[in-house]
Amino acid sequence: MWGSDSDSRDAKQGRDGKGKHDVSISDATVAVSDELAARDDMIVCREVDKWFGDFQALSGISATIKEQEIVVVLGPSGSGKSTWIRCINRLEVHQSGQIIVDGIELSNDLRNIEKIRSEVGMVFQQFNLFPHLTVMDNITLAPIWVRRKSRSEAEEQALALLERVGIPEQAQKFPGQLSGGQQQRVAIARALAMEPRVMLFDEPTSALDPEMIKEVLDVMEELARTGMTMMVVTHEMGFAREVADRIIFMEDGEIVEVGTPEHFFTEPEEERTKLFLSQVL
Amino acid sequence: MNQGDALPTLADKPVIERVATRPVEETYRSPAEWVRKNLFPSPFNSFLTVAFGLFVLLTVRGLLNFVFSEERGWDAVRTNLRLIFTHAYPEEQYVRVWVCVGVMVALAGLSLGLFAARGDGVPLRKISNALVAAAVAVAVGVVLREPSVLIGADGEVVRTDDAVVRQSFADAMSDRWGWWLTAAVLAVIALGLRRVPALGDGSLRTIQAFNLAAIALALPVLSAWIYPWGHYAFAEGEFIAEPGRTVAISTKLPWTVMWVLAVASLLVGRWVRSRIGEQSLSRLRIAVNLVWLAVPFVLYWVVLRDPDLDWARITQVDVPLALAFGVAGGIVLWWLTSDGIGELGRIAALALLGLAAFNWLAAFMGWYPMLQKVRISFLLLAVVALLAHNFSGETQKRRRLLAAWLAIMAVFHYFATIMNTPSTVETPTEALIGGFAVTLVVAVFTLMLSFPLGVLLALARTSRLPIFRVMATSYIEVVRGVPLITILIFFVVILPLFLPANMEISLFASATLGYTLFSAAYLAENVRGGLQSIRRGQYEASDAVGLSTSLRTTFVILPQALRASIPPLVGQVIATFKETSLLAIIGVFDILRMANSVIPAQTQFLGIKREGLLFVSLVYWVFAYTLSKWSQRLERRLGVGER
Ligand SMILES: Nc1ncnc2c1ncn2[C@@H]1O[C@H](COP(=O)(O)OP(=O)(O)O)[C@@H](O)[C@H]1O
Ligand SMILES: [Mg+2]
Repeated sequence: MWGSDSDSRDAKQGRDGKGKHDVSISDATVAVSDELAARDDMIVCREVDKWFGDFQALSGISATIKEQEIVVVLGPSGSGKSTWIRCINRLEVHQSGQIIVDGIELSNDLRNIEKIRSEVGMVFQQFNLFPHLTVMDNITLAPIWVRRKSRSEAEEQALALLERVGIPEQAQKFPGQLSGGQQQRVAIARALAMEPRVMLFDEPTSALDPEMIKEVLDVMEELARTGMTMMVVTHEMGFAREVADRIIFMEDGEIVEVGTPEHFFTEPEEERTKLFLSQVL
Repeated sequence: MNQGDALPTLADKPVIERVATRPVEETYRSPAEWVRKNLFPSPFNSFLTVAFGLFVLLTVRGLLNFVFSEERGWDAVRTNLRLIFTHAYPEEQYVRVWVCVGVMVALAGLSLGLFAARGDGVPLRKISNALVAAAVAVAVGVVLREPSVLIGADGEVVRTDDAVVRQSFADAMSDRWGWWLTAAVLAVIALGLRRVPALGDGSLRTIQAFNLAAIALALPVLSAWIYPWGHYAFAEGEFIAEPGRTVAISTKLPWTVMWVLAVASLLVGRWVRSRIGEQSLSRLRIAVNLVWLAVPFVLYWVVLRDPDLDWARITQVDVPLALAFGVAGGIVLWWLTSDGIGELGRIAALALLGLAAFNWLAAFMGWYPMLQKVRISFLLLAVVALLAHNFSGETQKRRRLLAAWLAIMAVFHYFATIMNTPSTVETPTEALIGGFAVTLVVAVFTLMLSFPLGVLLALARTSRLPIFRVMATSYIEVVRGVPLITILIFFVVILPLFLPANMEISLFASATLGYTLFSAAYLAENVRGGLQSIRRGQYEASDAVGLSTSLRTTFVILPQALRASIPPLVGQVIATFKETSLLAIIGVFDILRMANSVIPAQTQFLGIKREGLLFVSLVYWVFAYTLSKWSQRLERRLGVGER
């Protein structure tokens, strides 16, 4: 259903050691010059700049995320993590540079935006469920009206997804009747219902009470195991260490350091990274 | 109508069940304690309590003296009840009016049965308290009211030099034994109710709100069998205004039927609800809502007007036209929803819109004659064509769109034909109905038309496209800067001059149009408030799952915005309802004009105005208050403000 075919699972399970991917972030950029991006590049950002008025929130962001890769973005608050992740599905508009998702370049062309949004699922810090719709309607709304599925097909899929995130019994409830952790799992199911190729998470556990964080992280981990490409902004160092293939550290709108969790947590190179780690660990 | 499934209407939202944390009965406080705590907590507050208490008592005394004065001509109201409510609808066809009332009563009962949740019930103690309060109020009223004037043996008021002679206080009190008895009966019932909970196992402590309402409504209906509240105003088609001919003979039976109808339809609604599943229930609710939308049109144009159908024309012109549009439009829509039509579909839909717009332009320029129906059908087709891409792809969805189109055509052509057919009902004035009925009809049509318009204006005003924003803002600001009465006079007096020669517009229609355009501007501002209350995350989440702007607006933004703006929207509804009284000024015989001009001009009741005005105020108040109460219920049910 969501990339759970056996091939991808095998591929994922095949690499238990982290760091299969190169530490360098610019190699993909160099490698493909005539094509938009290499075939297994899911997200490519090249020299992305973003200003809010006079304030530069992103400066020269370049990074490539491969298919099935799990990338965790770390950084102090205000460093531009949200801005970056939101540029990737065009919730924010970048002013210069290129963003290419699954071979489609983000431009002002409305059809490209529509296409990319249906390829990219997003989970927000504040869940952003539709409070006037039941859990079932929250999940099936877009599949029915955007993917043009029949209602019964969409509901069947929604039930399977709710099963997957562990709350099949809540289908007929309203978001306001659920706990934060349950709401965030519904939000994940809602995003997955569009059968995206990439999932973006912007601090999915930051608004949750401590006892609910684990249930959401478990779902995300399970999702990672099925071979979903994921880009996760989080402050959960445990998750970053265990699940991430790569960690990108940002500060002041720039990418400061990129590396495997192992590299990142044990032998960071940059001073700013060390400072950040000393504060959060 | 797939849309209805995913977008539940306001009223059919399941009630969110909350865990009851509130104890069923509040801790009991003795009345004396309550009075001390709330009325006399400090010297200054005690002073305020006494001062305001005196003021209230004096006001009530004045009102009672006015209402029960021997000079009052309440017969003017009693005799003219029919005139006040429906104007001079022909006597021999009057059953049509009752059919209208009956349909609405039955539909209301059915809706209550299908929609309303069974509440906790009303505690008997509360009812008992209310009855005690009523008994006390009656007793206080009896004492407060000044003694009646003495009537001599000749039937004239006894006078000394310049003042009337009144009874002694003791005589007055004993004369009013009927009222004392009433107070006593109320008190006895109240005390009796207090004993009931002690008898049973506790299940008798409350009474279902439905049952209470049924009893409360049964009382006035029953009373009509005992006391003739109203008098006949018409006989053999002629106005007689003759005190003593009781109208209760003719209305007590219909009202009894209405009561039975209300209770029966409520029970049917509840029974159906308990028998069918959740899904068919929500379908049924949507159907009931649609019936509500159609009912005003059917009642007014079909039942009340009794159109004189010209079958030859119908079979030769109307039906073929409807069929042609149904089939041709259906083919166009089927093509528009076919796979891979892409941009071509949008262009075709826009071309249709252009054609429709051109037709209207031609109408105003008088270029070529065309049935109004054809123009409107073209416009409808263009609108549906613009929405068609949402239904493309799956055959099932395309079929639904097609069915919806055929239904739209059938309904529209049916009503267009009916409206164009002359009425067979003849009334003394030009208008079919008057009095309170006209108030209701204008208010209902105004609301039905101004709601969609207001929502569109609000969306336009918050749109990202400057052209929409500027147009909507200017419209709203212009309308809000002009008094309603000016707009009404403009539409009634000046608008007909602007219309092309072949177009005519009735007083009624132009007044409704004026009200609609006025009310829409205010509704738009209320809806805009709701739109602004929606958090950015809702837009972002909709975008992130790939909803287009129109889908986002329909399914995510508007439902929440409307819900958030229920209180001001209901305020606007009540305002519109009351503002219909301006109809009296532009020459419509509405309820206010009946009381203010028509009744005081009757030979029997020459100059009797105040009674009618008081009664009319009471009618307005009862309606406005009911609406306001109902909106509070709706708010609680939809959980406004507790998202
Ligand atoms: N809509 C906006 N307008 C102006 N400044 C913004 C806006 N959104 C974010 N910023 C600024 O951009 C910077 C990066 O913000 P953000 O991406 O939210 O950081 P993070 O998610 O890493 O905490 C912050 O300084 C923030 O104040
Ligand atoms: Mg952030």
